[in-house]
Amino acid sequence: MKTRIPRIGIGGPVGCGKSMLIERVVPILAKKNYRVSIISNDVISKEDADRMRKNLATSQGLLPENLVIGLATGGCPHTAVREDPSINLSVIEQLEDEHKDLDLIIIESGGDNITTTFSPALADYFIYIIDVSGGDKYPRKRGLGIETSDLLAINKIDLAPLVDADLQIMERDSKIVRKNKPFVFVNCKTDEGVDVVAQHIIHDVLFDQPPKNLVKEAQ
Amino acid sequence: MDTDLSDLSLMQLSDSFFPTGFYTMSNGLETLFDEKRITDADDIESFISSLITNQLGPADCVALSNTYDFASSGDIEKVISADRALYSMKLIKEIRDATCRSGSQMLKCIKVLVSDNKILNQYFDAVKNSETPATHPIVTALSCNIFGIEKKRAMLLMLHGFSTSMVGASLRLGLIDHLQSQKIIHTLKPLVKKTVEDNITKKLNEMWQFTPESDVIQILHEQKFSKMFIT
Repeated sequence: MKTRIPRIGIGGPVGCGKSMLIERVVPILAKKNYRVSIISNDVISKEDADRMRKNLATSQGLLPENLVIGLATGGCPHTAVREDPSINLSVIEQLEDEHKDLDLIIIESGGDNITTTFSPALADYFIYIIDVSGGDKYPRKRGLGIETSDLLAINKIDLAPLVDADLQIMERDSKIVRKNKPFVFVNCKTDEGVDVVAQHIIHDVLFDQPPKNLVKEAQ
Repeated sequence: MDTDLSDLSLMQLSDSFFPTGFYTMSNGLETLFDEKRITDADDIESFISSLITNQLGPADCVALSNTYDFASSGDIEKVISADRALYSMKLIKEIRDATCRSGSQMLKCIKVLVSDNKILNQYFDAVKNSETPATHPIVTALSCNIFGIEKKRAMLLMLHGFSTSMVGASLRLGLIDHLQSQKIIHTLKPLVKKTVEDNITKKLNEMWQFTPESDVIQILHEQKFSKMFIT
């Protein structure tokens, strides 16, 4: 029988901390025995994938090296996750065939603009991440990612005083723009708020189900 | 009332909006760009022409043409043998993987559009069971056959799609502008037409390809650290 592994899409502008968020969230999930694969869509290189592979797989042994996959997108990061996700889907299908014990696939979009969304055929849950360095106007300016993502993460909050970004304004505007949808302030350097992101993933995407390998062992 | 929808189907399949992942491929062009061996519109046209003349024409077009006929006669075994033969001629892993990723995703899309076609269902099952690789030209042949798009047009569609994706890659690499892009596509039309005419009657055992320099370039692309394109 075909296995459908839950998928999260993570999108956001260049340099906002998409890869860093993954690097911080995966250890939390791995500690709870969830098995994760990462597909990193990169605009110009496989640097992010290589770094995540080195840090998460080679150094920490949290997942096999071949489960961190880098994908080039021909200079079209939003096309690869929205209009024509066929190459990503092809890789996912291969993962689903060969690694049925995976609990989760994380798909990182290449750095893009604030209109990024994921094709519903590609991702079941969409995390959009921005950082404070663009100013506290960011949530207020809206954009599909900020408005419609399942979870909005606002990263690099430690930089707020340095760029005159008022976190209270960002909080107020996020509430207005996103209505009842959740958002979280994070600092991926110190792990602040990252556990909240992990909890959302476990609750909203994995529906608090235990890891497959633990279920299998219990049987 | 005329119920022939084949022209519209042709437009749908040839539209860059149709999801095949072609926008991720440069077929070695990116390496040539990085090494400054391709610098202008003439170089791009020459590279595309070479690949059409020595690779896509005698191999992909012949496979497509024969598969189209096999599909017409409902011969799934021969469709699979054409698929395997073409796959075996793709010497470079990146290129093999790319044609199969495009082909299998195109197949899935066609399956959503058409559910009651016997040969499509047989081929879909064969791909699902890993009995055949789903190269893009074979899936194109089946799709066009099912939609009533005539064989010659199916071959034109494939070569036009290839040319457009290569020109698109060139544009995104900053080699040419939007007007030069259209000029290259326009200039390639006679070659595309002739390539189809030269290969439409060839049998499967007449397939060949010979692009040693491009093969080496594509191997070099596999080894690149920093790249925009999958091929």
